[in-house]
Amino acid sequence: MIEHRTHQPFPAQLLDMTLVQLANWRWSWRASLLTSVIAPVLSTAALGVFAAGRGPDVLAYILTGNLVMSLLFGTFDRVATHFAYMRMVGRLDYFATLPIYRATLILATVFAFLVLALPAFLITLIAGALFLDLRLALSPWLLVAIPLIGTALCGLGALIGIVVRSPEEVGSLSTLITFLLVGFGPVVIPPEHLPGIVLRLGYLSPATYAASALRQTVLGMADRIPLGVDLVVLAGFLAISLWLVGQRMDWRQA
Amino acid sequence: MDVYEVEDLVKIYPKQTAPANDRITLTVAAGEIFGLLGDNGAGKTTLVRQLANLLAPTSGTIRLFGQPLTVAPLYTPGRIGYMPQDGLALNNLTVGETLYFTAHLRGLARRAAQAERDRLLALLDLEAARDRMSYRLSGGQKRLALLATTIAASPPVLLLDEPTNNLDPQHRRLVWDIVRGLNRERGTTIILVTHSVIEAEKVIQRVGILRAGRLIAVGRPGELKASLNRQLRLEIAFPPNSPPILPNGAAPRELAPGRWQVLIEREAAARYLDALSRSPAVEDFTLSTATLEDLYLALTAEQQEQPL
Repeated sequence: MIEHRTHQPFPAQLLDMTLVQLANWRWSWRASLLTSVIAPVLSTAALGVFAAGRGPDVLAYILTGNLVMSLLFGTFDRVATHFAYMRMVGRLDYFATLPIYRATLILATVFAFLVLALPAFLITLIAGALFLDLRLALSPWLLVAIPLIGTALCGLGALIGIVVRSPEEVGSLSTLITFLLVGFGPVVIPPEHLPGIVLRLGYLSPATYAASALRQTVLGMADRIPLGVDLVVLAGFLAISLWLVGQRMDWRQA
Repeated sequence: MDVYEVEDLVKIYPKQTAPANDRITLTVAAGEIFGLLGDNGAGKTTLVRQLANLLAPTSGTIRLFGQPLTVAPLYTPGRIGYMPQDGLALNNLTVGETLYFTAHLRGLARRAAQAERDRLLALLDLEAARDRMSYRLSGGQKRLALLATTIAASPPVLLLDEPTNNLDPQHRRLVWDIVRGLNRERGTTIILVTHSVIEAEKVIQRVGILRAGRLIAVGRPGELKASLNRQLRLEIAFPPNSPPILPNGAAPRELAPGRWQVLIEREAAARYLDALSRSPAVEDFTLSTATLEDLYLALTAEQQEQPL
């Protein structure tokens, strides 16, 4: 019998798994075009028409709210669906019988879907700013904020994809949650136009902190929530969701 | 040396009361080709998924090379290749990419993984499918690609669940040749589930027969067939639509229109053959010892008569 070979070290596993997960662009680009580019850009345009003359602050909320929507569809929604799909077609079995750590699959999926969501985010940002005639004031903190927002939303998507039993339910549930996250809190609509209960509920939503961080790092606006708080809370969402995914994603079926 | 030691294994799925595997105890030796036979729902796939550490047992133990499957996170996946009954490994990758990543993740260096990919594409007649996405392959090509993925980087233990499903006769033969070759040349231990009992008989060295979750027989096919080999298997072909003339006292079974099988005592064989060779109605006949399929049918029929 030949000597069995050892597994690859963690970084090599992570690189391979990231390349494998990046290959998902082959199917995801169509959905990205529709939900992460066309929908947010059209929404920005439509809301911009209604909000014309209400001042740059309202337009800023429209732009950053739709950027969050683009990221939610590109990360949260897509990762949730992807994990459910992997379970359904037995792909998790394939990964479970390879000598790889579970963490490499989770991290690679989160990182790959963040990268896949970035082109749609940039198109929405540029098209939205041009249409609303907003001047961008990009901060270096954007390089921290975008990966943190994207990965935190991917982590929550992975959790939904793992926890919800039926893969058929995951798609509709993640879309519903996407709209709830955008609707509950000062994401697209400025806080002064929202009822108090919605504002308070908004503090529980990662989309609230994502939108606040984007207003500060993309448009240079001051916000009720300081950027540092946004980033810490988003990091918390990321850590908790990845920990829960690691706990719930047992390779072995009961 | 035993590769697998299974002791008192019970699996009851959540919200079910009947066990899918019921007190199974067996060992599989290193370098052995072990076949698992049984009806649909007999518990073969459940057993194999537990051996692959994809399914947690309700009770009982499984040891792989003397260690529990869960002794370390990469212990079992570092030693096995598992081919499921259906499904695709990675349908967002091409066949070539899937083989490369699998071989590399199983520990081969990058260049060696590329060479392994090329070797497997040639071995399994998949060169034309190298750059095709897995989900665009035909049913047979998907099975071959999945087998190639399973054997990539030569894991010392292979668990193959219906490896010849969806394959044409030529590719079924190729698969059995590959199974035999891996066992002979690399000493790979192979556990396989199959319904192609007659084909599998040529490769299986030891067999376990499952019925209703229980292991009702384990042993070498020759040993197990010894009880049946007092009888011989006679297959006789008559022209379609003509009445069969069969030996007196035998219990015939119609295999296909015009094709009959009877089990006859060894002592009576010469008499039957003499009568058949004189009969103008007989188109063809073959005489053989009992096959694994006969054994399987006899054992499962015997068990059906006994209360579980």
